Amino acid sequence: MPHKELPDKSEIVIIGGGIVGVTLAHELAKRGEEVVVLEKRFIGSGSTFRCGTGIRQQFNDEANVQVMKRSVELWKKYSEEYGFSFEQTGYLFLLYDDEEVEEFKKNIAIQNRFGVPTRLITPEEAKEIVPLLDISEVVAASWNPTDGKADPFHSTTAFALHAEEMGAKLYEYTEVKEIIIENGEIKGVKTNRGVVNTGIIVNATNAWAKLINAMAKVPIHIPIEPYKHQAIITQPIKGGTVKPMVISFKYGHAYLTQTNHGGIVGGVGYEVGPTYDLNPSYQFMKEVSYYLTKIIPALRELLILRTWAGYYAKTPDSNPAIGRINEIDEYYIAAGFSGHGFMMAPAVAEMLSDLITKGKSKLPIEWYDPYRFERGELRNKALQMG
Amino acid sequence: MRPLDLYEKDASKKVTIYFEGKALEAYEGEKLPVALLANGIYWITTSLQGRKRGAFTFGPLPVIVNGVKNIDGRKTLVKDGMRIERQNYGEFQEAVEIDGSKGVLREVVDVAIIGGGIAGIGATLELQEYLTVALIEERGWLGGLMSLKSTIQEGFDEEPKKVIEELTSQFNENVKVFKGTIALGVFDEGEYFLVPVVKKDQLIEIMAKRVVLATGAVENILLFENNEFPGVFRLDFALEVLNKWGVAPGKRVAVVGRKPERIIPELEKWNIEYIVVPNPKRVEGEEKVERLIDTNGNVYEVDAVIVSDYRLPDINPITQAGGKLKFKWGYYVPVLDEQNRIREGIYVAGSAAGIKPHYANFLEGRLVGAYILREFGYEATPAVYKEKLEEYEPEPMPMQRIEFKDMNLEDVQICGCDVNLKKVDDVVKKGITDLQIVKRLTHLAMGFCQGRFCLFNGALLVSQRTGIDMGKIDLPVARPPLKNVRMKVTAVRE
Repeated sequence: MPHKELPDKSEIVIIGGGIVGVTLAHELAKRGEEVVVLEKRFIGSGSTFRCGTGIRQQFNDEANVQVMKRSVELWKKYSEEYGFSFEQTGYLFLLYDDEEVEEFKKNIAIQNRFGVPTRLITPEEAKEIVPLLDISEVVAASWNPTDGKADPFHSTTAFALHAEEMGAKLYEYTEVKEIIIENGEIKGVKTNRGVVNTGIIVNATNAWAKLINAMAKVPIHIPIEPYKHQAIITQPIKGGTVKPMVISFKYGHAYLTQTNHGGIVGGVGYEVGPTYDLNPSYQFMKEVSYYLTKIIPALRELLILRTWAGYYAKTPDSNPAIGRINEIDEYYIAAGFSGHGFMMAPAVAEMLSDLITKGKSKLPIEWYDPYRFERGELRNKALQMG
Repeated sequence: MRPLDLYEKDASKKVTIYFEGKALEAYEGEKLPVALLANGIYWITTSLQGRKRGAFTFGPLPVIVNGVKNIDGRKTLVKDGMRIERQNYGEFQEAVEIDGSKGVLREVVDVAIIGGGIAGIGATLELQEYLTVALIEERGWLGGLMSLKSTIQEGFDEEPKKVIEELTSQFNENVKVFKGTIALGVFDEGEYFLVPVVKKDQLIEIMAKRVVLATGAVENILLFENNEFPGVFRLDFALEVLNKWGVAPGKRVAVVGRKPERIIPELEKWNIEYIVVPNPKRVEGEEKVERLIDTNGNVYEVDAVIVSDYRLPDINPITQAGGKLKFKWGYYVPVLDEQNRIREGIYVAGSAAGIKPHYANFLEGRLVGAYILREFGYEATPAVYKEKLEEYEPEPMPMQRIEFKDMNLEDVQICGCDVNLKKVDDVVKKGITDLQIVKRLTHLAMGFCQGRFCLFNGALLVSQRTGIDMGKIDLPVARPPLKNVRMKVTAVRE
């Protein structure tokens, strides 16, 4: 996007041009709102750029299941309308003992209640879906064929393009330096390229959310910290070899799937932080190789091409903070997605747009209440991969 | 003698191998692609998009060996009765034997030197008197590019092979040489640097107080149509088949690129018929190069094309280890302090720091060795090497123009992984100039070579299309592993 002049003012300013900021701008623009996105680098350059592609509805609480059900509907709708790839190739959780099976039965019951067609399948059925799996220790699997994957960069770019067509304005290489507040009211933001006057700010900066909250002097504590998570990609192999996202909690909280380009992409729960460092570590390469080859032994002979790192912006209960900060008129936050923000983005955009434009949402936005940390009301830990 | 043998090989080592079912003469210890070349076979594998590929330019070389798919043809030595078949890049071995992990070996040394070329040898010789050294070399022999040449090099008074033999024979018991060994990266562990290396699927963790990146340079990839077709030779591969293996690249070869003098003496020495074509546009053929067409429409009937152009420092080991780059002399070089360091503890020597004669690289190896000795409190005289080295200003590379107009850009490969020039150009023409985004949208620099051979041309394209100075283009940083490694090798847990 060209370096056009910054506008003097906008009704709404979204700070952060990742998938969350961009889908939000897209939804608000669609509703006829005047919206500007300020991104310090390029659109999709943060964690979105480094993200692992997965989109799932298999969560363990009502709120996340409902939100993700809606999100998948939106992924389907927009991928068809805008022509980016979203494949419903499913998510397959491999289970290794009775305890895991019992837990997943509970999760599946919640999922089924809201119309997510997850079912418990046998190891043999799992092997039919991914023939290369080693099922010798698997006792069952949780399978939802309507989960899927999309290319994070291509989808973000598509949402950005259509947001602009509907009148949203996206500014790259524009970094917010200061938030102007007078008498508890938002007046505008100061950037490296000038001031934009506005009455409404959304903090959609995820890993950097605490920095923006500090600029706005948000009076409540919203604990979001950046953690280094890493990923690996192998040489490309023939398409369709590993269609779904395969998860194994037993083996290192590992996830793996095949990208559009043919490489096997994956990660494990190996976490470093809090930190803003993004150098891939050797320890990770060893861990991820060990675990992924346990799940699919044929990976042993594949070449590792590259490893990289990105942030999980984590909260203590692995759920984001989404909502309005009442003490500052009008400041909103949508951050702290704890490793599953990409998949949530379209529904979060809808939910937050409802909140901004109507004051409430049909989706259970209160689950992500930014005040819950102060009140000591942490949620059940959301299922987090990697 | 086989069709392309330059001399009779040792008859006692004669074996028979089978390529696509056909029996061929080969010699024990020969590299697979060399044995095939000697028999006139160039096309060995096929890319994901169905492009025929050979062994002697960029891109991987997966083959089926004795029924096992996805074996690296370049690392395969022939054995009697070996059966080789072609495969497509995407094919892999589904049934694997789980032989258990080999575990990890550990080595503790004072200095790890990555790269056993003339600079690495120089550094080793300087250091070995007082310090322990691990010298890590990917090839099966030491001496780097210099060892592939047969003519006497400036600064030395004997044939390169002899020089290397003499220098390496001086190695003492403080030196551990790891040949046929790749380094996965340099990791800062605080107290020491960890350099994990792989030799024959064995993972070895080298712990060192200092690291020398003597990681050398790569050949510039020339952009012309079908520039990766079987029968196109990168200069280092052409030198290797001639001087290491005694096999000709072809009966009649074309030399293209801006530095034909790098190969002509060798071709003349071996009496190989050649023509110099300064302006290649396209190569054509059925299974291998049969003709070269230049930009004036002249057609040359040849059976191999050798690209003899400039060399560029391999920037991947530099950026992975945390080094910064600058654009100088027409290419990207590491930013070094006054002691040839990219950062505390990590030194750079040889053509990794700038393109210069072998002798200057040797001096630079000795120079960083001397700096390290000083750091450890030993007597050393870096000033002497420094003074001599100052006589050798690195060689500048003139800026090249990509001739977009005259070429079918879809046929010009910028990268070994089916990324053609058109794909990259289309993205850049849309106004995208950040190589990070170009990379994501085209897959440039995301394949087997990690951009080693294509990032420079990507930057050149952006610069030429937009007018942005090469020095202002931000090159993506290399991520580990520096060289491809099979997952089973790193799948160890203790």
